[in-house]
Amino acid sequence: MSRLSRLQHALEYLGGARDVPPAGFPFPLSNWVFWGLWWAALAAVVFVFSGQGSKFIYIDF
Amino acid sequence: MIFNTWDYYLLFLLPAALSFRISRPSVRPWIVVSTGCLFFVYFSYTQIGGAIGAACLAIFLWEAFISRFYKPASLFCWLGVTQTILFLVVFKYRNFLSGVIWHSPGRNPLYWRIAFLPLGISFFTFEFLHYAWDRYRDRTETGTVGEYMAFILFFPTMVAGPIKRYQDFLPKLRTISSDWALDWQRGTTRILAGLAKKFAIADVLTAYTAHLNMQDIAVAGRAVLPLWLLAYGVKIYTDFSAYSDIAIGSARLFGIAVPENFDWPYFQTNITDFWRHWHISLSSWLFDYVFIPLGGSRISVPRTYANLLVTMFISGLWHGAGFNFIVWGVLHGLMLAVHRWWRLRPGYVPSLHGYARALSWLLTFACVNLAWAFFCMDTRTALYFFRRLLLG
Repeated sequence: MSRLSRLQHALEYLGGARDVPPAGFPFPLSNWVFWGLWWAALAAVVFVFSGQGSKFIYIDF
Repeated sequence: MIFNTWDYYLLFLLPAALSFRISRPSVRPWIVVSTGCLFFVYFSYTQIGGAIGAACLAIFLWEAFISRFYKPASLFCWLGVTQTILFLVVFKYRNFLSGVIWHSPGRNPLYWRIAFLPLGISFFTFEFLHYAWDRYRDRTETGTVGEYMAFILFFPTMVAGPIKRYQDFLPKLRTISSDWALDWQRGTTRILAGLAKKFAIADVLTAYTAHLNMQDIAVAGRAVLPLWLLAYGVKIYTDFSAYSDIAIGSARLFGIAVPENFDWPYFQTNITDFWRHWHISLSSWLFDYVFIPLGGSRISVPRTYANLLVTMFISGLWHGAGFNFIVWGVLHGLMLAVHRWWRLRPGYVPSLHGYARALSWLLTFACVNLAWAFFCMDTRTALYFFRRLLLG
């Protein structure tokens, strides 16, 4: 697996699109401390950037 | 809107997913149907069209009722196809099509001043048409009334897809995933990632894409114009893929896997692969229900090119009632035809490496992003954009 493919796989795993991490990825699904922190980080990003009030582009289609 | 409101999560997603999972299998479809109806009425009433928008649920229930009469090779299937397209034309294209004849809205007897689109009508259309065609060709079973209504009214995918197929959805509805912990962990992660993508990337880029109008283009420096268009290319990808992430994550909470919509489309090295990885549920629908019935690629080469153009013309028209969307669709049709001609040349090398691969990627990325000009601006503004970009 190329470095780019591994990065894609890791990002998909972190984004919830894959159930299995790439080989050697240090945080399995059972590591609730990591996932708790990851969810908190995502929620913080959402909180910081929310309130801009734009709608989804494809809603009107 | 909708997916970025608390109402969606607290009033609809969590109660519906929880009650769906703890219910007996025979009751589950009806939970989907009832919550789907409430979802449609609530968000139509509060966000689109008010009471009239909410009443449009009756149209989709009527279409679903007619669908139950579909049989292989039955005329009812054609009746269903006709009325589905008719409803879409009335709501989405009435002002555009009548405006072609009567240019001024004041003189247009068919002009609809309070025009609005019923929630999800474009996506309902795809699922109704798919079911009618597949019943006509005897490619799907009917299922029970509850199962079929659940397919139509499954609210995570109701508004903007991913576009489902009945044959694919039915077994997943009948036998949902039993691993609660995995589904909720992955579903929640996907929803949070989608929201972060939407708020932190797509919405932030609005500061740049908002300049894509006649006044700002007229006074902008030439160097900044491609950056605004590039910002739109990134915005539309992050916006719609974020939407799809939330829809897919929401469905996962029910224990149902719905189709993926994006698979790194901007990394592709040709336009054909781009369309295999961009809005996948739409492009596969267009392939199966427009391109293939037209004859696909098993006919003469010129007819195949014509089929590509017609398919992408329909894709453009579906995306919006405006000439700019038609131009955008036809441009993509032309690019697909040129790529097909290129592949059919003697000496064509299918797999590229090194500089050739990088150049191929750059060309694809540039073509796709330049074509977005006709997606995000009306035709006159887009042409002016290119005039300024090329001639200053």
